[in-house]
Amino acid sequence: MGISLKEVTKEFGTFRAVDNITLDIPTGDFTALLGPSGSGKTTLLRLIAGLEKIDAGTILLNGSDFSAKTVRERKVGFVFQHYALFKHMNIFDNIAFGLKVRPRKQRPSKKEITEKVMELLKLVQLEHTASRYPSQLSGGQRQRIALARALAIEPEVLLLDEPFGALDAKVRQELRHWLREIHQKLNITTLFVTHDQEEALEMADTIVVMNHGRVEQIGPPEEVYQNPANAFVYSFLGRVNELRGAALRGYLGNTIPNGDEVGYIRPHEIGLNRTLKGSSVPAEVSHVTKVGSTVRIDLKRLDLGHIFEAEMSTEKYRELGPVQKGDILYADLNHIVIFNGKNNTTQPVLENKTLRAAYL
Amino acid sequence: MLKKLIRHRALPGFGLSMGYTVVYLSLIILIPLAVLFLKASTLSFTEFWRTVTDERVVASYKLTLWTSFFAAFINLVFGTLIAWVLVLYDFWGKRLADAIVDLPFALPTAIAGIALTTIYAPNGWIGKYFAAMGIKIAYTPLGIMIALTFIGLPFVVRSVQPVLQDLDTRYEEAAATLGANSMQIFFKIIFPAIFPAMMTGFALAFARALGEYGSVVFISGNMPMKTEIIPLLIITKLEQFNYGGAAAIAVVMLLFSFILLFLINVWQWKTAKKQQMI
Amino acid sequence: MNELVLEVKFVSMKKWLLIGVALGFLGLFIVIPLLAVFSEALKKGIQLYFAAFNDADALSAIKLTLVTAAISVPINTVFGIVAAWAIAKFDFRGKNILITLIDIPFAVSPVIAGLVFVLLFGSQGLFGSFLAALDLKIVFAVPGIVLATIFVTFPFVVRELIPMMQEQGTEEEQAAMTLGANGWQMFFRVTLPNIKWGLLYGVILCIARAMGEFGAVSVVSGHIRGLTNTIPLHVEILYNEYNFQAAFAMASLLTMLALVTLGLKSLVEWKTKKYVNGG
Repeated sequence: MGISLKEVTKEFGTFRAVDNITLDIPTGDFTALLGPSGSGKTTLLRLIAGLEKIDAGTILLNGSDFSAKTVRERKVGFVFQHYALFKHMNIFDNIAFGLKVRPRKQRPSKKEITEKVMELLKLVQLEHTASRYPSQLSGGQRQRIALARALAIEPEVLLLDEPFGALDAKVRQELRHWLREIHQKLNITTLFVTHDQEEALEMADTIVVMNHGRVEQIGPPEEVYQNPANAFVYSFLGRVNELRGAALRGYLGNTIPNGDEVGYIRPHEIGLNRTLKGSSVPAEVSHVTKVGSTVRIDLKRLDLGHIFEAEMSTEKYRELGPVQKGDILYADLNHIVIFNGKNNTTQPVLENKTLRAAYL
Repeated sequence: MLKKLIRHRALPGFGLSMGYTVVYLSLIILIPLAVLFLKASTLSFTEFWRTVTDERVVASYKLTLWTSFFAAFINLVFGTLIAWVLVLYDFWGKRLADAIVDLPFALPTAIAGIALTTIYAPNGWIGKYFAAMGIKIAYTPLGIMIALTFIGLPFVVRSVQPVLQDLDTRYEEAAATLGANSMQIFFKIIFPAIFPAMMTGFALAFARALGEYGSVVFISGNMPMKTEIIPLLIITKLEQFNYGGAAAIAVVMLLFSFILLFLINVWQWKTAKKQQMI
Repeated sequence: MNELVLEVKFVSMKKWLLIGVALGFLGLFIVIPLLAVFSEALKKGIQLYFAAFNDADALSAIKLTLVTAAISVPINTVFGIVAAWAIAKFDFRGKNILITLIDIPFAVSPVIAGLVFVLLFGSQGLFGSFLAALDLKIVFAVPGIVLATIFVTFPFVVRELIPMMQEQGTEEEQAAMTLGANGWQMFFRVTLPNIKWGLLYGVILCIARAMGEFGAVSVVSGHIRGLTNTIPLHVEILYNEYNFQAAFAMASLLTMLALVTLGLKSLVEWKTKKYVNGG
């Protein structure tokens, strides 16, 4: 149920935008399609809406085959990145559009349309804008109207393309909460595209991480973040230090290095001390930044010379005592996760949580 | 590029609208023009060559070319100046001045012809002052040039104006902070930016002038060898029922216009590409 | 007086000099001819001005001009919308070539435009004997005038619409489709309202050109008084008969149409600017 994609492929010329994707999104789920630009996430969304034709595979919506249906038969609610509100219509007519273009037999009466539009305007808390034109609204308000317009046709799925891409940080934050609330109220299967991992982690029930037209990992935010399936997911979600070659020496345990290994460690997983403890390595502080409740410290490893970043809460930082440029600290890098770089999709070769102190 | 392709696939009606466009274009424009070439080809090569190199025809080609060129050149200078004034300065009546620049597009050419002839005839509003100095304007190549200047006036203005408008004042300010004086700013910053548009406008005005008939036929006097333009010569051949001759002269003229049109387009694609790269 | 004041004085002098030259040029080439039309038309008083229209030949010329515009403008308008839809909303190979082909009538002398139809349908033309057998007349008759007018005014509407539709993109149309609109609903409720001002200007320009076309129509008309004379051709006949007052009176009709066209263009520019800034 919900949306299921089976071996869906889409090519533009020789470029494979969506590559053999199989995916199930349960009814009522709030799903994020997350990936860098060019990863095929928007194309996938447009394939579901019918705005693009699929080259191969099938799309099922609540069990019925959608692949051959036209855009208008699919009845999906689609919210465009730049809203695509009708400039020459006022807000009321924008929202009423989907009801007014129905075939005469299915078209609600004028009174019903008015009621429905006002109800939606109330839902998005913009009742007072009914007679205004899109150009008279702010970006955030336009986004809410675009959603109301998409909901007017009572869609079975709601698709949003980079819904907050064009908004400033504060409005974006507000709208994220608001969109979650709306979803909880209506419980429509919702799929949104974003390249912002924070947005995906914060809002979605399920995250689909995409890269090069393929799905890299599917799962709830915590799982995707805590247990990334491969190096791409690890490096794409959250801040990360990437280590290669000599920097990995000592963390590889019993495996024989072949030069392709790549290690990742998140800045907040690096422990810093004033004194040498166990397997920590000495590093020189090159910069200290305070961002809200966290402190970021740039360090240069004394023995190998490469630069990495550590992050901690202000309390931890206070425990450590004021750090200045030039100070020598000892960094605990044992949380490093190592992948075999030749094949990014493999499971981690080693998780060094179990390997601490197995070196030097 | 990829984004663009994606955006343009979903809408309906491409096959229908494209088919209709091509069929209609072929019926109204392409096939009739092809007939012109077909007719010209019924002449033998020597006949064709004799027709298009006839003394009277050559004189007419020359006249048409040089009057068109100078008219376009006058428009290049004054058109750029008008665009400059309309974009950079504020003055009373600017909107009106801006609006009437397009009059030559909208006014029937025959009306422009009789109005200009009336003004520049030896007893006309302006013509009489020149007549007093012994200069004849109407019924001379000078008159032809004035008519061609009139009909080509909007081209340079409308080509240069948007470019000047888009020219970011920040460039000028940046140049000024770097110590450039206003002459340097004009020749190093502004002139290179508007030059392609000036040339486009010039070429369009030139092409338009080459084929012009209505406004010229009244003011030119139509004297063979002296003030007879090519379109008039074509009509003369037609009235003598010399269809082949008319077609031959028309083909030469058409080829010239097409080459000009082609050069304008190539020039525009090239400059568009260059600007994209920046 | 210090240097700065001098410089400011110089700059403002230069400015007014340039404005003066520009306005002088426009005055000489545009305003004076305009004044000449109306002054010549009204030279012998308002009564004779109106008398010029109260003439069987003049009235039939006005009628033929209106008929010609009434046929050719709608045809080119439909073509303009359809072609602009294909060109502006889709990507395909050879688009630049197609646009260049559409521009051909701009580059072709109106006399040649008339000539091709004489070569096609004239008595010695390609279909001449065929038409004669059917007793149909195209050249030196109304159909030829209409055809030549269609040829000459061919690009006006489409060239006005293409940049406008390109700028607007396709997102609103896509949105209409996801909301369940069919092709016609999408076109009439979303596309058309968005281009209406540009379309209106293109149509008016097309009307002005269709009613004012001289060279092409002159070649195919045969100048038969009362039958195949349009307003510009009638103006020519009157002028060549030295009936200047009547010639300019007829001319003033089309001049007023030209002025209305210009006014409308300013209005359209103002309206679309408002749209773009607001959107």
